Amino acid sequence: MAYHALAAVLLPLLAFVINCFIKGKATGWVSTIAILLSAVISIIVFSHTFNGGAIHLSRVWFTIGDTQLYAGLLLNNLSILMLLLVNLIALPVHIFSMAYMGHDQRYGRYFTCLSLFCFSMLALVVVDNMVLFYTFWELVGFSSYLLIGFWYKKEKAIQANKKAFIMNRIGDVGLLIAILVIYAQFHTFDLVKLFGQGGLVSQSFFKDGLWIAPGASIPAIWQYIACGGIFLAVCAKSAQFPLHTWLPDAMEGPTSVSALIHAATMVAAGIFLLGRVYPMFNTAELDALAFIGCFTAFMAATIALTQNDLKRILAFSTISQLGFMVMAMGINAYASSLFHLVTHAFFKCLLFLVAGVVIHEMQHVKDENQLDIDPQNILYMGGLRKRMPLTFIAAIIGGAALVGLPLTSGYLSKDGILIQAFEWSDTKSIGYKIVPIMMLITSWLTAFYVARLIFKVFFGKLRVLDVKPVVICHISDGGWQYRVPLILLSLCCLFPVFSLDPLLYEQSWLFKAFTTADHLERMNIYHTIIPAGLNILSIAVIYLAYAIYIQERKMLPFAQNNWAFDFSYNQWYFNKAYNTIFVKPVLALGSGLFWFDRKVVDGFIRLLQNILLWLSKVADVMDRYVIDGFLHLLTAIVQYIGNFVRSFQTGRVQYYLLSMLAVIVAWFIFKTLI
Amino acid sequence: MSAANILFYIMSFIALASASYVAVSKNLVRSVFVFFVTLFALAGLYVLAMADFIAVTQIVVYVGGILVLILFAFMLSGRETLDVLQSPQRSIWKIKNLPALLIVALLFIVLFNVILKTDADHLGWVSDSIKTKNYISNSGDMTANIGVNLMTRYLLPFEIISILLMMALVGAAHLSRKERAE
Amino acid sequence: MISLTHYLVVSAILFCIGLYVVLVKRNAIQILIGIEMMLNAAILNLVAFGQFDRHNNGGQMFALFAIVLAAATTAVALAIVLNVYRRYKTIDPDKVDQLKD
Repeated sequence: MAYHALAAVLLPLLAFVINCFIKGKATGWVSTIAILLSAVISIIVFSHTFNGGAIHLSRVWFTIGDTQLYAGLLLNNLSILMLLLVNLIALPVHIFSMAYMGHDQRYGRYFTCLSLFCFSMLALVVVDNMVLFYTFWELVGFSSYLLIGFWYKKEKAIQANKKAFIMNRIGDVGLLIAILVIYAQFHTFDLVKLFGQGGLVSQSFFKDGLWIAPGASIPAIWQYIACGGIFLAVCAKSAQFPLHTWLPDAMEGPTSVSALIHAATMVAAGIFLLGRVYPMFNTAELDALAFIGCFTAFMAATIALTQNDLKRILAFSTISQLGFMVMAMGINAYASSLFHLVTHAFFKCLLFLVAGVVIHEMQHVKDENQLDIDPQNILYMGGLRKRMPLTFIAAIIGGAALVGLPLTSGYLSKDGILIQAFEWSDTKSIGYKIVPIMMLITSWLTAFYVARLIFKVFFGKLRVLDVKPVVICHISDGGWQYRVPLILLSLCCLFPVFSLDPLLYEQSWLFKAFTTADHLERMNIYHTIIPAGLNILSIAVIYLAYAIYIQERKMLPFAQNNWAFDFSYNQWYFNKAYNTIFVKPVLALGSGLFWFDRKVVDGFIRLLQNILLWLSKVADVMDRYVIDGFLHLLTAIVQYIGNFVRSFQTGRVQYYLLSMLAVIVAWFIFKTLI
Repeated sequence: MSAANILFYIMSFIALASASYVAVSKNLVRSVFVFFVTLFALAGLYVLAMADFIAVTQIVVYVGGILVLILFAFMLSGRETLDVLQSPQRSIWKIKNLPALLIVALLFIVLFNVILKTDADHLGWVSDSIKTKNYISNSGDMTANIGVNLMTRYLLPFEIISILLMMALVGAAHLSRKERAE
Repeated sequence: MISLTHYLVVSAILFCIGLYVVLVKRNAIQILIGIEMMLNAAILNLVAFGQFDRHNNGGQMFALFAIVLAAATTAVALAIVLNVYRRYKTIDPDKVDQLKD
């Protein structure tokens, strides 16, 4: 079975390689067929090995000094479930993309990148050691970067993919630090040895400020650093506070990409990481996780209330639901978190594909009438339910799942989280009650913005007609490539896929697969009050939205122009804050360094240059005046002596006689004196 | 202080004084004529040195011959030479003469030194010749002696001298011939 | 008997004067006079020493020959001076310096 899983992982890689060399529509078919085969194989693997024992296959990859690194596969429940999920989401998206990107010039490049992403995501979920995990974590981030900036001629797309990559990089640094700390402590990268049942992590404990593990002990601060690194990685990849601002901007990419990556799979990788390293956290860290997730969910829900861009609403909804998942991990509801991950993948992908169809049709309207509208703006949409009935029904199902109404899969997962939140807060001090209460409020806010979205898009009249009474308006559901994925995903949003009992989440096979043996089921009051209260008030909120947006009754207690609205509309000013705190100083540093390089470094080089020139001038002067001057001096001396001696030859006889006499007299004097 | 001494001093003073005048004078004619006086004084000195024949020969040949020759040479040379010869120079003590004066003075000092060292009066052979009465006395009649020696002992030099004189004559005559205008 | 030394001193002085004349005068004939003076000083010397050689009479003989030679010298010298004058139009020895460097 392990080799089947390996085949399922490598098929998209093969599609990627092939697509590098071929062009045209064939690339789409290659990728889609690869994913189809991969999906089939993963279903087979799933049916054989789910809830069976974990399969672990590894081989020595390379050796550095005394350390050996392994490469291998780990197929436990989590891996197999994610393998299946990714393939089942990727398949409809591939089919959808073939039509959605059909007119794009770089069609082949799109599918190449898409296959690369599928390969890296599938590989991420099946690898068995931290090094390979990190490798594919990075590769997933890189594929996301390629796909966000797919329309690279758009300035905003380029900025968005840069932002996404940089923020993900911050998370990667955190993950790397965590991996290194864990290795320093436990001397192994293997996931089973570390985090499995009775693994090294569960054998380690704190004592006297030291983190003691079998074989080593280091100061306890390192455990917190490692967990901090993991948190950073999760926040970056799963768009939690404070590293969440890249996800709304990532909507600049094609909608099918948003559906696959930024709704269902890549952002779920953070939750997957939490699932893998879950045994490492102690209570304090889990509490921190819960608070982060809770805050993020609330914040994102408040922002989604006022956004006008269709995809942006869905992006913030994703952030909010990921907050739910992270919080669920924090309150020890491991199984519910993973359950919500799976259900969220389906209904969010569905909603994004719906958005894709709607935007596509609005784009047609814009092109055919040469209008100057933003096809993604919901203020120009409306009354589309009559023109796009299938899409409308798919949207209703997806929206209901997102809100968590009964008979949908979302109900099972979300209510499970909320019930366990209340149970968890009972075991802690009174201050912890804020978490489940915030989650309740967030759920109602979710209901409101989902309802707003659906009413604005599908009900009422087509508001673009207010801009210009158009003549041509061909809006319809689209071809089979649009409809089939929608139908497939809608079916997966309903309860029968996950549990035969529509109301009790504990009966879901998925939930049962992940609960630990010592999880006691207490049927207490929460199990009835929470679902009832939540859903009744959700329906009330939906009716409120209907009243406001369809019947246009002035029921809003909040004016449109107060500070709360602006705060929400501007995404709580996070982007502005990050820009001022981080981006501007870095850019200033960059230009400062540039100035430094140009003035100081180049100035220093120029100074050296000038010194050298000056030295050469000095040498020249020395050579010309001193050395040559010395020679000239010698010649002048010789000349002078010559002239002096020459002057004795006057040609005058008496002078000669005088000089001879002088010598003779000198000789005589010399003789007499000596 | 015998009369010979006094005469000697007088003669030598005249000789030296006139020689000095010759040395100092710029005028050629004057110096030639004063040289006359010098030669005469020298002849007197010869006489005092018992060489009367030499003295007369000096007067006859030197004074009467040579000096007259010189006089005639420039007197008969024409006005141009006369003008050339008499180039007026004012100052007596020219600075250019100082080195020569110095050298000459030094030479004199050296000579004087040698003379004193020599102590000519007490030279060996001089003392011997005094002892053997080989010196010329006051009443000495040397002319015959000169003649005899000339023909016997100094015959060769005598003949050679005459040849020399002839050569000099011929040479001088030839040297000073008038160039024929070609 | 006059002391020999006196004669020698006089002769030395005369010789030096003659030398001075030869070195200093700007007139060729005056130089000739100087040469004569020097010769005369030498002859005086000879004669002074000849007092003590009666038999051979070398001193006086030599003096005689010296006088003759002086005459010959003068004759030739005058001829030369004449030629020099004809050639250079001057008898200033300082002006006849064509052999200078």
